[in-house]
Amino acid sequence: MSRLFKHAFARRSVYPLPFLDRLLTVASRHNATLLLFLVCCGVATIGAFVIRDLKDANAEAQAMYAGSVRGLQRIGELQYDAQETRRATLYALTTSDSNLQVEYADQTREADQRVKDAIAEYGRQTKQPEEAILANRLSRDWANYLAVRDEVLASILEGSTKEAVTRDLSQGVPAFDRVRNDLNEVKRLYAEDASRSQANLAASSRRSSSRLIGILSFTFLMSSAAVWAIQRSRMLSTIQLAKLQMEFVASVSHELRTPLAVLRSAADNLADGLVVGKAAVKRYGAILRHQSHAMGDLVDQILLFASTEDRENRYALHPVEISTILDSVMRGTAGLIKEAGFEVEKRIDPDLPLVLGDLAAISQCLQNLIGNAVKYSGDCRQIALGASLADAEHGSGPEVRISVADHGIGIEPSELALIFDPFYRSPRVRAAQIHGTGLGLSLAKRIAESIGGRLSVKSEVSAGSIFTLHLQIAKGKEAQTAGSTYRQPAPSNP
Amino acid sequence: MKRLATYLIVLSLTLWPQMDVARAVVESSDPPLAQQAQGTEPLVIVVNRSNPVDNLSQTDLRKIFLGNRSHWADGRRITLVMRDPGEPERKTLLHDVCGMSEEQLKNHFLHGLYTGEILVSPKTLSTPAGVRKFIFNVPGAIGYLRISDLDNSVKAVRVDELSPDDRSYKLRVSTLAVN
Repeated sequence: MSRLFKHAFARRSVYPLPFLDRLLTVASRHNATLLLFLVCCGVATIGAFVIRDLKDANAEAQAMYAGSVRGLQRIGELQYDAQETRRATLYALTTSDSNLQVEYADQTREADQRVKDAIAEYGRQTKQPEEAILANRLSRDWANYLAVRDEVLASILEGSTKEAVTRDLSQGVPAFDRVRNDLNEVKRLYAEDASRSQANLAASSRRSSSRLIGILSFTFLMSSAAVWAIQRSRMLSTIQLAKLQMEFVASVSHELRTPLAVLRSAADNLADGLVVGKAAVKRYGAILRHQSHAMGDLVDQILLFASTEDRENRYALHPVEISTILDSVMRGTAGLIKEAGFEVEKRIDPDLPLVLGDLAAISQCLQNLIGNAVKYSGDCRQIALGASLADAEHGSGPEVRISVADHGIGIEPSELALIFDPFYRSPRVRAAQIHGTGLGLSLAKRIAESIGGRLSVKSEVSAGSIFTLHLQIAKGKEAQTAGSTYRQPAPSNP
Repeated sequence: MKRLATYLIVLSLTLWPQMDVARAVVESSDPPLAQQAQGTEPLVIVVNRSNPVDNLSQTDLRKIFLGNRSHWADGRRITLVMRDPGEPERKTLLHDVCGMSEEQLKNHFLHGLYTGEILVSPKTLSTPAGVRKFIFNVPGAIGYLRISDLDNSVKAVRVDELSPDDRSYKLRVSTLAVN
């Protein structure tokens, strides 16, 4: 089939994608929706990747946000508690009531404990060496300030306000300034860390966006390619069908013209009185009968093909004996075989079971196969007709196989999948001017499938071909009641 | 006469219980501390934990709480911590250590501060917790607490080599007024 199209395209231009077309033709032969399914799978996979990527980015952003909020809160609390420590100490200066002063002392100590805890927590969570050094320095400076604070507090409680103020100004303020500087440094390092995280997040976001764009582009390309492939495969199928139909018409015309020409010539001779004598008239009559039978057979085959378009429930299946089938086939092909000078070698296994089918249909199928064998046998005039019992390939029990083997020209491996297509004729056969419609094997295959069987082929170029009809074995009551009714040729349904 | 005798007998019988109550009030208003061991608890003299002093004599205590001694041996200034006037602990200290009434103590400090003999007046705190916290924060502070109010934030000192657990420890405060 692909060759036909290569030729068709070659007439117009050099087509650059022969392999792709072959692929598409094969795809369209099975199912074009397969492509859609593959695209859907691809899109689903890609969608899963996109969702995962977005989830990762979202989790990263949330982690950064939570980290930022937590970090800011921690720093804010640390600064507040440090200020609270100093503020409560100074509040004690504002009263001479010892009870209030003691309360302020309590407040400053509670606040300084929180600061100590926060500094320890900061020290534990440091990642960079710079942060660890800063944590140590902050801890040390805070301890120094607390030592001064304790002295100031004691002076306040003792009532030595002047001494407390003097000590605070001379030692407390510088010590607390050092702490404040340390806290600012902590804030600066945190800001740098947050900037780094933000940069990482931005980079991650950019990566996600790039991936998303890439994936969407890929999906778009895939979808476009799939649509294009489906359209193209349909177009190829249509073109192929049209071409085959044209070839079929040409072939049928040719097949009809030959006997028509003979009939016309014989009729002219008879009408013109050129045929003289009883023997000549008899010979002309035989010619007219033979040619008209050939035309009738051709028309019958075309009609039969058209009638087998609907393969479901075409035949009422009955148990049939193999010997009955073979007798019917041999009767039907005796003239052909004798005329072509062929010998038929029979290899029939004994005691074969009844098969399920329609005698006329099976007979027609096998006659087509024998007709093909005669047509393509070349110089070797031998055909083998065999019947045997074997296990079905798909494991559904035994089956009966009836095979027709020839030693003819054989079939190219690349054509094995095409020979059962309607109207298909091998270029090699056409080149050899072997006449035919391209319907025989297609018809045989349809019949085989209509009766629940199948047709298979093995072939080797220049060595010959074996066509095998696989038939179901009749079981149960049908087999038991298979009596004389089905030993005789049964009327066909078509 | 007979009527007068009867009147006297009735009068004496009527007043006898009231005289009994009055006697009891007079007796309970000034009971010796040693006789109330069952209803008392030790009053502990406490200092800052950094203070090296472990023992003080009754005389030292009197000097300190009357402001006559202003510095510890290490040179640190002494800060007196007292409870509010009227508190049993304060009463015990005034009675057993200073040997003064509230009024006398007040006059003593006014006079001392006026003459410059006393440098700082006592700090007054209204709760035992306040006393503990004050002494915790001031290295030179000294105060007093019931033994039931004592904790590790302050240090108890012996008085005349007697610890508050000793039976002969003299500073005791009534437990009736705790609540």
